[in-house]
Amino acid sequence: MSNASGDQAALEVVDLHKSFGDHKVIQGVSMTAHKGDVISILGASGSGKSTFLRCINLLEIPSAGDVYVAGEKIRMHTDKAGRYQPEDIHQVERLRARLGMVFQSFNLWSHMTVIENVIEAPIHVLKIPKAEAIEQGEALLQKVGIYDRKDYYPAQLSGGQQQRVAIARGLAMQPAVMLFDEPTSALDPELVGEVLKVMRDLAEEGRTMLVVTHEMGFAKDVSSEVVFLHEGMIEEKGDPKQIFQNPNSDRFRQFLSRTMQ
Amino acid sequence: MDLIIEYQGQLLSGTWVTVKLAVLSLLIAVMFGLLGAWAKLSKNLLAQKTAAGYTTIVRGVPDLVLILLVFFGGQELANQIGSLTGLWDYAEISQFAAGVGTIGVVFGGYMTETFRGAILAIPRGQIEAGVACGMSRFTIFRRIIWPQMVRYALPGFSNNWLVQIKSTALVSVIGLQDVVYNGFVAGRSTRQLFTFMFAVLMIYLVLTAISDAGLRWLDKKYSKGIVRSEDG
Repeated sequence: MSNASGDQAALEVVDLHKSFGDHKVIQGVSMTAHKGDVISILGASGSGKSTFLRCINLLEIPSAGDVYVAGEKIRMHTDKAGRYQPEDIHQVERLRARLGMVFQSFNLWSHMTVIENVIEAPIHVLKIPKAEAIEQGEALLQKVGIYDRKDYYPAQLSGGQQQRVAIARGLAMQPAVMLFDEPTSALDPELVGEVLKVMRDLAEEGRTMLVVTHEMGFAKDVSSEVVFLHEGMIEEKGDPKQIFQNPNSDRFRQFLSRTMQ
Repeated sequence: MDLIIEYQGQLLSGTWVTVKLAVLSLLIAVMFGLLGAWAKLSKNLLAQKTAAGYTTIVRGVPDLVLILLVFFGGQELANQIGSLTGLWDYAEISQFAAGVGTIGVVFGGYMTETFRGAILAIPRGQIEAGVACGMSRFTIFRRIIWPQMVRYALPGFSNNWLVQIKSTALVSVIGLQDVVYNGFVAGRSTRQLFTFMFAVLMIYLVLTAISDAGLRWLDKKYSKGIVRSEDG
């Protein structure tokens, strides 16, 4: 395991399983993201790609498997009722703060302004002084191009603007890894570009990112690795330039021909 | 008018009793409402069932019956326990405590439903976003759930509160000297019932008008981030 070696992975997932009742959604997925990796996770709907992402920060509790964040293992145990559970919720909270998450439906806090959304967790989770948090937050809003709307409320913004704020909110935690869960799927087509541009910029400056997406262009041009999930298992993975040209798996080939037309 | 001035002492002391009764029972109602909403939304089956039983009973029975039951029945019960255990000879339940307790617990049932609905109105994703940032459950409650819950709960809460102020009038049947009781006594002894009941009516209107102003202030304070259509 790479966390034992000198080259520490930003994120490592080992043999992750997740079932809802009898339904096995994830059946043994492993993945390693080194610093600066951008991994695109593709798959048809129902392939388990979003569930996989949500298991990494324990929004869903995995049924089995391990997650290492910057080398630190999230400690899990089987409780008296036989459920696989985190051992220490404080450790989970601490490591969640190291993983920035961007949701399909933005999920900004609607009673807070843009800047308040961005400084909320740094102040109340990381305990950063307010003035410092505001300074960092404003810089991040500038980076995602929405500084001029910093005192607006989410309901006054377009979807694309809201998603850029959500990205800034994730970055404000200075995370080891950014997780994107279909960040452009809820957007009107003309707003997708502005969000993808921000994500491209992040990739270029060396951010470690896991991106569940349907944007083939992004997966092909920006990511360092593409993983294709089918029925909760990795069906194909590799360098995007290779596997888009020359897929090994028939299922991935079919998936590509359906989505690229 | 002269009569009112003559009896202003009784009316004012009665009003003060009514206000104390309303405010204290509101505190109890809010506490029971929060507890009840928490229980109804918890994954614990026992808590769910208990809360469901509680709201079913207190909302399904007239307040008056409960007040009489608690005051007279409670008295009997306390005395029986006393004679059974030999711990005390005679116990008395105060009218004020019986009134505050009963009205508080009854309206706690209504508050439970109001708060439960308000919490459910908060988009689930906003809570998830807090979880994903590493917030503790307490931080999520204080920073994300509470401010939005208050906003969603206010219309129902306002309604409950206005009904609750008026329900305090029921305590006059157990002899508590609230504004209705004192007004009625003064009206009968002066044979000017209409004058005094009209005065009592005006006092209630003043109390509810003050509440209304307070609630409007709260609504303004907690409406941040809501885009109203008239704002354009």
